[in-house]
Amino acid sequence: MTAAPQTRRSSRRSRRRDRPSPNTVMSPEGVPLTLRVAGIGVRLSAQVIDVAITMTAVICIVILLGLLNLTTPQTLYAIGAMAFFLIRIPYYIATELVWNGQTLGKRLLKIKVIGHDGRSLTTHAVVLRNLMKEAEVFLPGTLLFTLDATTPLLSLLSFGWIVMAFLIPLLNPHRQRLGDLLAGTHVIHLPVPVLLRDLVRETPTRGVAGKFVFLAHQLDHYGAFELQTLEGLLRVDDRRMAPAAYGHHRKTLGEIIERIRRKIGYADPVPPADHPAFLQAFYAAQRAHLEQRQLFGDRRADKHHAVPGRK
Amino acid sequence: MAQTARTMTPGSTASASTGLLRSARFRAEREADWQALEKLVAKAEQKGLHRMEFAAARDLAAGYRRATTSLAIAREISLDRALLEYLEALTARAYLCVYAPQERLGGLVQRFFTTSAPQAMRRSALFIAIGYLCMGLGALTGYLLYFENEAWYFVFMPAELAGGRTPEATTGFLRSVIYDTNPDQTGLGAFATFLFSNNTRIAIFVFGLGVFLCAPAIILTFYNGLSLGAIMALHVDRGLGWDMGGWLSVHGVTELSAICIACGGGVKLGAAILFPGALSRRAALQRAGRDAVKLALVAAVMLLVAALLEGFLRQMVQDMTMRYAIGWGVGALWLAWVLLAGRGRA
Repeated sequence: MTAAPQTRRSSRRSRRRDRPSPNTVMSPEGVPLTLRVAGIGVRLSAQVIDVAITMTAVICIVILLGLLNLTTPQTLYAIGAMAFFLIRIPYYIATELVWNGQTLGKRLLKIKVIGHDGRSLTTHAVVLRNLMKEAEVFLPGTLLFTLDATTPLLSLLSFGWIVMAFLIPLLNPHRQRLGDLLAGTHVIHLPVPVLLRDLVRETPTRGVAGKFVFLAHQLDHYGAFELQTLEGLLRVDDRRMAPAAYGHHRKTLGEIIERIRRKIGYADPVPPADHPAFLQAFYAAQRAHLEQRQLFGDRRADKHHAVPGRK
Repeated sequence: MAQTARTMTPGSTASASTGLLRSARFRAEREADWQALEKLVAKAEQKGLHRMEFAAARDLAAGYRRATTSLAIAREISLDRALLEYLEALTARAYLCVYAPQERLGGLVQRFFTTSAPQAMRRSALFIAIGYLCMGLGALTGYLLYFENEAWYFVFMPAELAGGRTPEATTGFLRSVIYDTNPDQTGLGAFATFLFSNNTRIAIFVFGLGVFLCAPAIILTFYNGLSLGAIMALHVDRGLGWDMGGWLSVHGVTELSAICIACGGGVKLGAAILFPGALSRRAALQRAGRDAVKLALVAAVMLLVAALLEGFLRQMVQDMTMRYAIGWGVGALWLAWVLLAGRGRA
């Protein structure tokens, strides 16, 4: 509870804030958009799905060739490898071009390739990043099977290449692999737009409209973070809760209201029946107040906004 | 600032809580527009922008631009997290629809072969020449070293690649490899085996490793030249030089050129890292990548053609002169394509 660790933490936080977030992309219109960078795990899963799809096609082709007697068992492996190679390269390039940066695996997992600079994906970028995939993903993948103690130098080289291919995405904030770096792309999660109801416009519970009035100085304590936390709490649907959970929820509401009352100096006690209405009213008043302050250029990120020396 | 806040009248906050909030009004006025955009975005994602009617596409673009404005305003005036998150997601989805690559696959392939690839090859002539130089010097060194001491052959030539063609082999055996009338593989099998043989792997490595300051690309190409020179020297030693030349020409002209071109691409990437000029290294690499990728694609196509020649033509044509004619004829076609195609167009 000493001040020292707190200041250290805050300075680290401010440094992190100074760096531009990897999750924003500047659109050509000049409005920064939030597009969350996709992690290694989800991208690897998409890759596995794509490999499974192309592999299935290859197996079908090899079986067909076998039925037509066009191949002998000795060359079966080589023909399979060739078919895999000849199918997967056009597959990745064509799907990413046709579906705007999504292969089938990426479509299933709702991730997408976008241009790093915010402009649209170019053909060159798609071709380049998928060709580099050969050297970065498939080559290490096959090299992994050829690691062999009898040729230490070659094995060491292959191992170094595999490690590097995996480390590059881990070491940069956009999780770009080498092909992404060269092509100027990165992979993002597709955002899902869901419009929830506006809590302020809701019809207040009957009989309590205008019942709770907050004064301006009472609304000076909290910032946007607390407001939006309260918003999250108010959006919890308590009508479909199990009885035990519902009781717990109501108890939490009561405790929160007690803390708010103590903090803002709200004298009148709130009867348990009015708890949701009180919070609703407090949310509306607090939001109105903070939005008004924001219009005047006084952005309040959280409850520490009034402490001097912290922003 | 806190001072001014306290002087505010309590009445102003009380009236705001009745639902006349500026941000709530802002949302109510535009909600229908956003939902219309959401439908258009869903349609564009499902059908593709180029298959939408003109009016819908126009509405999508206009709706997207209005949504970006809404988002910028909402970030300033609203603290409603639901609204902000919705607008962020909607604008991002619309953005991804509006700024999508608008290219047809067919036109792409045609453009690559008729203009962009030959132009990239001509622009990178110096680097490709470096590739040929590495290979040529390697071959010369291997050739001369073999005549100095036959033991060098085993240094340059991996045993599995030589396939019994060593200095110990009889001249008769060497001849039988060159003029093999009943191969043990089908054409398709030979084609596939070839494609995944040593040289394709070398081509991939030569290109990909060029990024590391050129050295691996140059060394690998030189090494490939060494084994070429050694095997030539072995056959010249036995008086089979011309026959071996014919055997190699059928596919070798195309295949070895592909390796040299891949080496040129790799060296180009490495050179961008070594000598970025006024650009940052990453920018230089991205710029060099534009041509280097085309070189790699050309090398890949050439390797495919070489595999076809090796798999089907080499065993069918047993005449030495015919072999020379086919090999170098195909080589001349490649040269003509590189020198002549894509001229006079931007």
